Amino acid sequence: MNAEELRSRFTGFVFDDIDLDVEADSLAGFALACGETLPKFTDPSDPEFQSVPNYTTRIHGTRSLPPDFPVEMDRCFDAGKSIEIHAPVRPGDKIVGRSEIADIYEKTGRTGNMLFIVHRMSFYNQRGEHLSTVDWRLVQREME
Amino acid sequence: MILDLHSHSVASDDGRAKVENYCQWIARKGLPLDGLVLTEHRQFDDESDYRPLEDRFGLLILKASEVETEYGHVLVFGVNDDLRAAFDFARVDNRLATVLSESRRCGAVAVPCHPGRPKVGLCAHWETRGPVEGIEILEVLNGGSREGENEEALALAERYGWGRIGGSDSHIVSHVGRCATRFEEEVRDTEGLVRALRGGRFDAITPAPESG
Repeated sequence: MNAEELRSRFTGFVFDDIDLDVEADSLAGFALACGETLPKFTDPSDPEFQSVPNYTTRIHGTRSLPPDFPVEMDRCFDAGKSIEIHAPVRPGDKIVGRSEIADIYEKTGRTGNMLFIVHRMSFYNQRGEHLSTVDWRLVQREME
Repeated sequence: MILDLHSHSVASDDGRAKVENYCQWIARKGLPLDGLVLTEHRQFDDESDYRPLEDRFGLLILKASEVETEYGHVLVFGVNDDLRAAFDFARVDNRLATVLSESRRCGAVAVPCHPGRPKVGLCAHWETRGPVEGIEILEVLNGGSREGENEEALALAERYGWGRIGGSDSHIVSHVGRCATRFEEEVRDTEGLVRALRGGRFDAITPAPESG
């Protein structure tokens, strides 16, 4: 199945969603792990306490790809994440994360043909505010 | 006039540089560039307007594309609606002969890039698949090349008497201007770039090292 066929079959619908209660310790711990030092990210008693901007990149759904997606994981590797931030996460937020395949495309490189699968998670809080969009790229290399 | 004819911004899926940051870097480092051409992968960006950046930094910022063929990647300068209708820029299996002939028909110029690079460069395919008619210019200096790759490209260009251009192939700001093209005439816009490339009075160069 080529990229065009995969795109038409697997994009455009939510295949997974998760709920997450955000605790202050989780926000502060992630900020410290990132090397952040500003109190508004690391100190829950700070009046401006909130998540570091990339907080939602740490959250994963219950599955990486839709059921029946024809991927060969032994030829795949992680091609990184990008995040678009709309609003900070606050302690006590109840986050919903919805997963969809945003894009599937091919490219060619030094190592041969590659198939890129863009897994997009969109995060919302309990007020329905869009917090962030995280695009995770998975690459499948062609067989040698 | 010196232009970096091969660069990628965040509009490319693997680009990590904003165009404004390229401009800031060129200004801060005093690079001897008069401008750059954005050659985004498998697409043409017809929406972005870089005129305010051009005015602010005194640089020429043009837009082109890098498309993919069975002979490797190809820069296309002078992209227009006719050319975009002629073949699918997003595909990775375009025919080089089609890209060359349609570019010529539509008033554009197609230039195989990083020819010495394995899998996505012209040289290896030239040996295995055979020559293709219609190439007039080759990117012989590519800033992302590994040892020997530019030399291989240069040898192929000299063998056939093709014109030679250079481009950084930058994906991050600090790589812009590593290689470039010196034009004997002034280029003011995309049409002028196409004219200059057809005129043949240009050559690939490695601009002077950073000044600071």
